[in-house]
Amino acid sequence: MTSLHAVPHSPSASSLARLLACSFACSALLPPLLPARLPGRSLGARPSSLTARPGPSPTRPPGPLWGLLLPPGSFRLPGPQPRRPDARRRAGGPTERRRHRRGACVGTQMAAPVPWACCAVLAAAAAVVYAQRHSPQEAPHVQYERLGSDVTLPCGTANWDAAVTWRVNGTDLAPDLLNGSQLVLRGLELGHSGLYACFHRDSWHLRHQVLLHVGLPPREPVLSCRSNTYPKGFYCSWHLPTPTYIPNTFNVTVLHGSKIMVCEKDPALKNRCHIRYMHLFSTIKYKVSISVSNALGHNATAITFDEFTIVKPDPPENVVARPVPSNPRRLEVTWQTPSTWPDPESFPLKFFLRYRPLILDQWQHVELSDGTAHTITDAYAGKEYIIQVAAKDNEIGTWSDWSVAAHATPWTEEPRHLTTEAQAAETTTSTTSSLAPPPTTKICDPGELGSGGGPSAPFLVSVPITLALAAAAATASSLLIW
Amino acid sequence: MLACLCTVLWHLPAVPALNRTGDPGPGLSIQKTYDLTRYLEHQLRSLAGTYLNYLGPPFNEPDFNPPRLGAETLPRATVDLEVWRSLNDKLRLTQNYEAYSHLLCYLRGLNRQAATAELRRSLAHFCTSLQGLLGSIAGVMAALGYPLPQPLPGTEPTWTPGPAHSDFLQKMDDFWLLKELQTWLWRSAKDFNRLKKKMQPPAAAVTLHLGAHGF
Repeated sequence: MTSLHAVPHSPSASSLARLLACSFACSALLPPLLPARLPGRSLGARPSSLTARPGPSPTRPPGPLWGLLLPPGSFRLPGPQPRRPDARRRAGGPTERRRHRRGACVGTQMAAPVPWACCAVLAAAAAVVYAQRHSPQEAPHVQYERLGSDVTLPCGTANWDAAVTWRVNGTDLAPDLLNGSQLVLRGLELGHSGLYACFHRDSWHLRHQVLLHVGLPPREPVLSCRSNTYPKGFYCSWHLPTPTYIPNTFNVTVLHGSKIMVCEKDPALKNRCHIRYMHLFSTIKYKVSISVSNALGHNATAITFDEFTIVKPDPPENVVARPVPSNPRRLEVTWQTPSTWPDPESFPLKFFLRYRPLILDQWQHVELSDGTAHTITDAYAGKEYIIQVAAKDNEIGTWSDWSVAAHATPWTEEPRHLTTEAQAAETTTSTTSSLAPPPTTKICDPGELGSGGGPSAPFLVSVPITLALAAAAATASSLLIW
Repeated sequence: MLACLCTVLWHLPAVPALNRTGDPGPGLSIQKTYDLTRYLEHQLRSLAGTYLNYLGPPFNEPDFNPPRLGAETLPRATVDLEVWRSLNDKLRLTQNYEAYSHLLCYLRGLNRQAATAELRRSLAHFCTSLQGLLGSIAGVMAALGYPLPQPLPGTEPTWTPGPAHSDFLQKMDDFWLLKELQTWLWRSAKDFNRLKKKMQPPAAAVTLHLGAHGF
């Protein structure tokens, strides 16, 4: 593309060239500028990207095409290169550049009014872009405020009586919230968090930005410690009883008497750390303190305990309950010591088993001093059972939580099928007929026997009788079984 | 710190060991010793509660966490994990025996000063039980062929009126005595568990497992 300030030799050809160049430039350049000028969107701030990343400069380059159309030497617009977050005001003032450009455009306006109008548009747009890009572009000021409180946001260094408009995340705010040029927010709610920007009312010049986070100071944290890997060590975990909605930092210290112990952060969980026992059978208590702080406040708590009191194994694993063949009142239960317990040989566990049929609420309990198996001998026949096991160190600490439940139903004798009963009854009609009164068997008409299709006729007649007999036999046998 | 005359104690447990006939093996004695530690630990819980209430606050507060000052001569149960794991049987038993000998001595001193008759009765009962534990440990050692630790001439504890102790410091000593006693009983349970597992014939353990899985 030819540059806008080139002056060709023949006037007609040059003006046409200029017209074409300018039209092309206008049609190419206007689309990138248009979105910036739409009402409802601030010229300066790009809220969607900003709320995600507070800090870098809000503006984007107006469009990549600037660089293609304007030689860098003549119009030093800050367009082409990607914008750096900490870019400052350029050495040359904005006005100087505008003059330069206008002058260049004026030089061509003798030829045709259309290219001049186009240049004017371009110049104005460039000026606006330049202005917005060279306003104070410091990173938004991050501010934390307490939920429910009132806050007044000044518009940077602007005077109290300056005419400004405030926007939050790109949406205009009503002027009745303003106190002069300051934004007043009362009774802060979580929804008030966002990027607040104030602009010069007329020029849309971005004056100041505040990234507001609404939250709470931390309440006393809840801290607990437990040893499920005795005698290797123990872990402590913590949490806040209510959320603060803003980032918190935790600091844990572990003291054994006067000795400071290292609490290693858990690789997976961010609110847990692990301590290794150096000595066993200590009479000196452990003291674990935690402090939590955020931008709005600070809190702390501590707990002290003896080595033995925090011992609580994990529940037993792989609890399996099986029926015992030929024993309708027995269930065989097996389980394994928790895999986290490091030394079951020297630190044996005892177990507590509880079971009940699903239909009842009351549990039966059995305490087992060793072994990882037990046979229940008083199960109700045919009822499904739920069984759980818990573990505890033989001498110290507390019981683990209950294991995952196992379900099982004791062995029951297999019921005989109805079809086999019917066939049995049919083949033994001669014997069963003795049960039935003799006249019924003689319903079968000898005349029909001779006339009909052979064996099918008597079968058809005797079917209802055999069915009735079969039913009677089935009920009789079921009564015997059950 | 209170020091007392305990020569009688050192010789007493030897007698039952000599009278043993038809020894069923150390396994049963170890089990009995283990059971005794559990019984004593249970007894101590109620005794300590009563005694600490008698001492009054802050000793009877659950969060009471004083620095371990004084009470240097008390036998300490605390031990490095690996050291404890690698103790040989003789050393394990010896450490237990010596600890309880000293602790019994100190307890007897405590009994002398106890104010109420109720407290004295409880303490006396506990002392008797503790003496039984000592005898039991001695029995195990004898059954395994280990010599009983004999006090060296210089270190024989004798009664000497100690430096004038303030009332509070005396109470602190009492507190640590009870604490150390409780910890030793927990440790002994673990010690005897370890010994029990060692003494168990491995075949029995295998058959138990087979039976459990019903194969």
